[in-house]
Amino acid sequence: MSAPFDGVWLVFRRELVTVRRTPGYAVLALGLLVVLGGLVAVGGGGATGFVPAVVDLLLPTEVLVPLLAVVLGYRALFADASSGELAVIRTYPVSAAEYVFGVLLARTVALVALVGGPFALVGAYVWLTAAPDTGIFATHAGVDSPVLFVRFVALVVPFGAAYLSLSAAVSTIATSRRSAVALGVLALLAGVLGGDLAVLRSLSAGASPSGIAESIAFTPNGAFRGLVFEHVIGVAFAPEGGFVDTGRAVASLVGWSVLGVVAAVAAVAFESRVDVAVERLRGRLGR
Amino acid sequence: MSDRALAAIDGVTRAYGGVPVLDEVSLSVGTGVTAVVGPNGSGKSTLLGVLAGAVEPTEGTVSYPDGAPREGGEKRVGYLPQQVPFRDGFTARETLGFYAALVDGDADAALAAVGLSDAADKRVEALSGGMRRLLGIAQATLGDPAVVVLDEPTSGLDPEMRERAFRAAARAGDDAAVVVSSHDLELVDAHADAVVVLRRGRVAAAGPRERLLDEHEVDDVDGLYRAVASGSADRPTTPDGESDAGGETDDESVHVVGVSDR
Repeated sequence: MSAPFDGVWLVFRRELVTVRRTPGYAVLALGLLVVLGGLVAVGGGGATGFVPAVVDLLLPTEVLVPLLAVVLGYRALFADASSGELAVIRTYPVSAAEYVFGVLLARTVALVALVGGPFALVGAYVWLTAAPDTGIFATHAGVDSPVLFVRFVALVVPFGAAYLSLSAAVSTIATSRRSAVALGVLALLAGVLGGDLAVLRSLSAGASPSGIAESIAFTPNGAFRGLVFEHVIGVAFAPEGGFVDTGRAVASLVGWSVLGVVAAVAAVAFESRVDVAVERLRGRLGR
Repeated sequence: MSDRALAAIDGVTRAYGGVPVLDEVSLSVGTGVTAVVGPNGSGKSTLLGVLAGAVEPTEGTVSYPDGAPREGGEKRVGYLPQQVPFRDGFTARETLGFYAALVDGDADAALAAVGLSDAADKRVEALSGGMRRLLGIAQATLGDPAVVVLDEPTSGLDPEMRERAFRAAARAGDDAAVVVSSHDLELVDAHADAVVVLRRGRVAAAGPRERLLDEHEVDDVDGLYRAVASGSADRPTTPDGESDAGGETDDESVHVVGVSDR
């Protein structure tokens, strides 16, 4: 390899081809499109406008996007590790970081396509069927706009990316495909339900409701929901905002993604050493 | 076969769940083909994994005069695990193309070297077991590494494929230290320059093949195997995979250090 990022690029390309040749992912995207389209139709159809469509889609998005991200991520790193191909790849001049970056970057691009595509089609459907005033490009209060839907889709991507990298990181400790699935489901449930349950518990324990805007930003779902309220729904209906601290919520989404990447790199780089340390400890205790 | 050691392991122990699979193994390998033989469970795959850098030893060290496997910008060690691990959905050319690009190698030349040019556009899952192993050997030798580690490259293959696989390994051994584990003692006899016999995680015998045969007063590697490795709880297997009931229990204290003629 001649350039420093060649390893990332080659792993990225191989991973993207793998995703492209896995028909199941396209089926999932089609399923997502059907569900999203159905929800918008049930909610009054595209004629209601972009923001009502976002309101209809917000809660399902908080479950469906993490689900699709976990499906994309739960075997991303586990597949090569379990087949033994990672051991082969590591004999080549590819560092653990290059390998993980390459894999996760490709999976993120796939996520953008598989999630962004159905959302874009739903947006196009709203565009074509919405009442005339929703076609106005405006971001000021009280006016529905395609820009708001684009913002919503733009927020969906980092939200899904956080789940993708976290599920990939969790998959590095899986020992079988079954345990990889179980860990992926666990990560999904912890993310989708855990944060909100923790906030509810803190409220029941006497925490001030005024602190919700701060604490909710720490979980991926809370950060995403807060940003959607602040920059999509609130723009049209509650311009005073205050749903979430934007900087904190963005940092939270980015932070969860970075945490997943760092944990995955550490696992790929040091897993065998941790294993050896455990064996040494076992040996000393056994003596 | 050169006297220069291209990889050396010193006092290597590897345990799993507190049970040592390799126990204070020391040896070195030079250019040529070094065959690692021993009964099932004797630690062959673990030893090869340690040499390839895929298995971290619990104790002991592995050294490479030309640099460790995961250091620097070159491929220092080629590795084919016991289970050929390539992804389904890719053709043989695409599979090797990925690896070749990592070392600026030539995938088509590597395919030709193992006689797989005609199967270049076949998907990996459509290749026979033998072809997959040949593809694995081609992958392991890409980038001309100093050490090539092949874990049972002939396992489950028909006689013709076994011969092809060993010949491919032997060709790589012209310039590199090729370490091959195998139950196929006839092919080991025909192609190996040096032999390491493992027994219950320890080196029962190691050295140049001819010297070992002379020392143990046997005619071939099969005789050496029966003299040194058999008699353990796990029965050795013949090249056909059948249980080998012959042989005597050897003194377990036999512990030869050094495969090359240093």
